[in-house]
Amino acid sequence: MSKPILVLDNVCMYFGGLKAVDNLSFTVNEGEIVGLIGPNGAGKTTVFNCITQFYKEYTGDIYFINNDVKKDLRDIKVTEIINQGLVRTFQNVELIPDLSILDNLLIGAHNQYETGIISHILRTKKAREEEQVLKEKAYEILKFLNIFELKDFYVKGQPYGVMKKIEIARTLMSNPKMIILDEPAAGLNDRETDELENLIYEIKKKFNTTILLIEHDMGFVMNICDRIVAINFGKFLAMDTPKNIQKNKDVQEAYLGSDA
Amino acid sequence: MKILNQIENFFGTLSKRLTKHPIVPFLIFGFVIASIGFLPHTGFIRWGTMGIYAYIVIFTVVAMGLNLLLGFSGLISLGTAGFVGAGALGLGVFMNMGIPFEIAALLVLIIAGSIGALIGLFSLKVEGIYLAIATLFVGEILRQIYTQVEIFGGQAIRIGTVRFLGFINLSMINQTQRSFLFLIITILMVLMMIIMHNIVKSKTGRALMAISRSQHAAQAMGISLLKYRLTAFILATLFATFGGIMYGLYFQNVPTTAWTLDLSLFVIAMVVVGGLKSIYGTFLGVFIIHGVPNLWLKNVFGDISYIFSGILIILVIIFYPYGFIYIWYDLKKIYFKYKARWSKKKVTDHE
Amino acid sequence: MTDFLRLLFNSLETGSVYALAALGIVLIFRTSRTTNFAQGLIGTFNAYIAAFLMLRFGFGIWTVALAALVTAFITGIVIDTLIIRPAAKVSPISKQIITLGIIMVLIGILPWFFGVDSMTLPRFIPTEYSLTIFGANLRYNTIFVIVLSTLLMGAMFWFIQFTKWGLATRVTASDETTSKLMGVPTKTVTMVSWATAAMLGTLAALFVAPRVSVYANMLLTVQISAFFAGTLGGFSTFFGPVVGAFIISFARNFTQFYISDIWGNVLVYTSILVFLYFKPYGIFGKKPTKKV
Ligand SMILES: Nc1ncnc2c1ncn2[C@@H]1O[C@H](COP(=O)(O)OP(=O)(O)OP(=O)(O)O)[C@@H](O)[C@H]1O
Ligand SMILES: [Mg+2]
Repeated sequence: MSKPILVLDNVCMYFGGLKAVDNLSFTVNEGEIVGLIGPNGAGKTTVFNCITQFYKEYTGDIYFINNDVKKDLRDIKVTEIINQGLVRTFQNVELIPDLSILDNLLIGAHNQYETGIISHILRTKKAREEEQVLKEKAYEILKFLNIFELKDFYVKGQPYGVMKKIEIARTLMSNPKMIILDEPAAGLNDRETDELENLIYEIKKKFNTTILLIEHDMGFVMNICDRIVAINFGKFLAMDTPKNIQKNKDVQEAYLGSDA
Repeated sequence: MKILNQIENFFGTLSKRLTKHPIVPFLIFGFVIASIGFLPHTGFIRWGTMGIYAYIVIFTVVAMGLNLLLGFSGLISLGTAGFVGAGALGLGVFMNMGIPFEIAALLVLIIAGSIGALIGLFSLKVEGIYLAIATLFVGEILRQIYTQVEIFGGQAIRIGTVRFLGFINLSMINQTQRSFLFLIITILMVLMMIIMHNIVKSKTGRALMAISRSQHAAQAMGISLLKYRLTAFILATLFATFGGIMYGLYFQNVPTTAWTLDLSLFVIAMVVVGGLKSIYGTFLGVFIIHGVPNLWLKNVFGDISYIFSGILIILVIIFYPYGFIYIWYDLKKIYFKYKARWSKKKVTDHE
Repeated sequence: MTDFLRLLFNSLETGSVYALAALGIVLIFRTSRTTNFAQGLIGTFNAYIAAFLMLRFGFGIWTVALAALVTAFITGIVIDTLIIRPAAKVSPISKQIITLGIIMVLIGILPWFFGVDSMTLPRFIPTEYSLTIFGANLRYNTIFVIVLSTLLMGAMFWFIQFTKWGLATRVTASDETTSKLMGVPTKTVTMVSWATAAMLGTLAALFVAPRVSVYANMLLTVQISAFFAGTLGGFSTFFGPVVGAFIISFARNFTQFYISDIWGNVLVYTSILVFLYFKPYGIFGKKPTKKV
């Protein structure tokens, strides 16, 4: 019943002499919420950067399976990844501060425009209609995330929690099959974290997507994930349900070791 | 209090309506500027003064192009003057070959646009700081070509009467026709303003901002650095060249030595001082940098345009980084703050 | 042979001048994270002071040169404290634009302070002292320029490599915030860098002045060549730009002589642009690493 959507097969990534990702293999199935955990510097963000092709120098293979078509992501340019239905957020919020929230969302729909610059200059009927359709879509997403009233404000000056939401909203603009979130709860307070938990459930249901996320907040990860991948020093430790991960000796050691 | 509220309401709905039809304010603005072209006939202003306004109109177009680079795309160019020169001198060369104005203009735009594309390609390779140097060289190469290659006619190239649209003869020397020339360049400016507005409010404008504000987010959202750096440089050179064509059309006599680094610096000053990312701000900047010294300060202090622009650049960057156009927003803010304070006081007075 | 030697001496002399200017630019690039486009104008401004003092009071070239170096030192400090420090927080591009603003202010000031007539400065060693090698005339002044520049650059490299202050300069260059935390007096380092750069620029101006007379754009070619030198050699080292300076000076002199005046220039500029396209950080430069 479970269909794989993302497959990592023996992925290695070096920075000079440093092995940031070391022979990592795991599979994410369609419709799952999977957490990627590990102590600081374990190589989690590097894994995301390999998946989304910001780094191309990795060895091993990363496959994305969409509608039964299996693609080797290495053959795809970083700017084309979003067209495969794969979209991400960043550990340090990456938004355009001096654009309105609405415009930031429209950036997420960049590749859905069919009209070109000439039609935009002439403001042809088709161009205007297209823009309107995408705006409506953005409105809907903003309403869903409860930040509709803020749509015309600049991103600059918004509270951190709102910015994190905008980044998630932006990913939704692209009709994603799979969303990758890098520390979505970092910097949020308890109430906001609870809200985010619900939100991620809702997103999965409403938009029918698979979610892979990095998070340090263990309560959050344990609550929300179907399965969890734990890594340390770029190496695979375990992949299991939250309950079993908690009991796993290697994982415990990795965390206790890094705490000590 | 009531009157204040009424005024606010009036302007509120007005500005809402105007933002719904952004073309209307541009047209009104163009109408006001165009009327300057007829003032010399009434004796209100001198003909020379109209020349200064023509220069402002022309350089508004040039500076808008640079604003696309500097304000929206976070890229710098020190070669702007070279492209204005390309527009004006290129127009002259082609027209002196007997090519009609419109076709000559098109040819010049195509050639300059291609050079712009080359710079865009180059910009992909180098960091921002090095890019400035690279564009400096491009400007320098162009300047050397203009002053030393014979085809540009040594000191200046004469264009003379322009046959506009194939049947309207327009000469700088005839006063009525000169007013008409002023009207045409104003129309062209408004046209370019509308084009600029439509570009920056579209997917292209947002993409330009994305590549400069957050390259990673841009890439993850499918925005190609290559495509939009190219777009930015092509657009900027097209605007600058278009400005040059307007220069040739209006002044009809184009010096070969005017397209120096200094001129490029003035254009940067216009954008920075007026307002990054703002169309009206660009006009304001051109007015402050070129208009104010030449219209007023010159008579009192002599030629101080360099010091004036230089000091303004430094002060604006340190103390008012968004440019003078934002004074309007700040005034609005202050007004509402004082109004709120005042009405609060009134309430407490009643109690 | 005669032509060749003449070109060789000439290239060594202009190369030294370019190298001095380029070093000033690199010094500021490394400590203030900006390309100082005003480098040439700052030198020019102080050359004006020298020429003015000579014209007005009849001092000799050595006296006015010394005076100009002192005023250069002051100019550097004034610019750093009044303009560069307050703008420490602005974006790199805005910082560049500020130095463009400084150019405009200086160009504007020149005619106010010194009038509009162009002035002249003589060579340090008068022209009549010269020797002839294989028919090529070699002025003692040329030797003086080459030797003095070489000594100065040698001293600077030594200073930067082997002294405490040199170390402070290098660490400020690589990471200002950390350096500040580690107790390096980054403020003083930056200030002294601006002062030194201004003096280097002024020296370049004094060396060039006898050939071209003193006017606002007298250093334009030198400055453009110095920037070329910096990008060609790479801004991330101190010696790269010096190597670049000599490459450019040789390339320009030889192409101008053997090809043609303008096309030689255009050819050199264009080929360096092409070179930079393939090696954007210069011969010795490294690509800075970026994190996602
Ligand atoms: N671009 C890079 N160049 C060199 N080393 C890098 C680079 N990016 C990451 N590293 C190193 O690779 C290792 C893994 O980094 P990564 O950012 O993937 O960790 P992480 O698990 O995301 O940590 P955190 O929880 O702190 O975000 C670290 O030691 C880091 O210093
Ligand atoms: Mg990380």
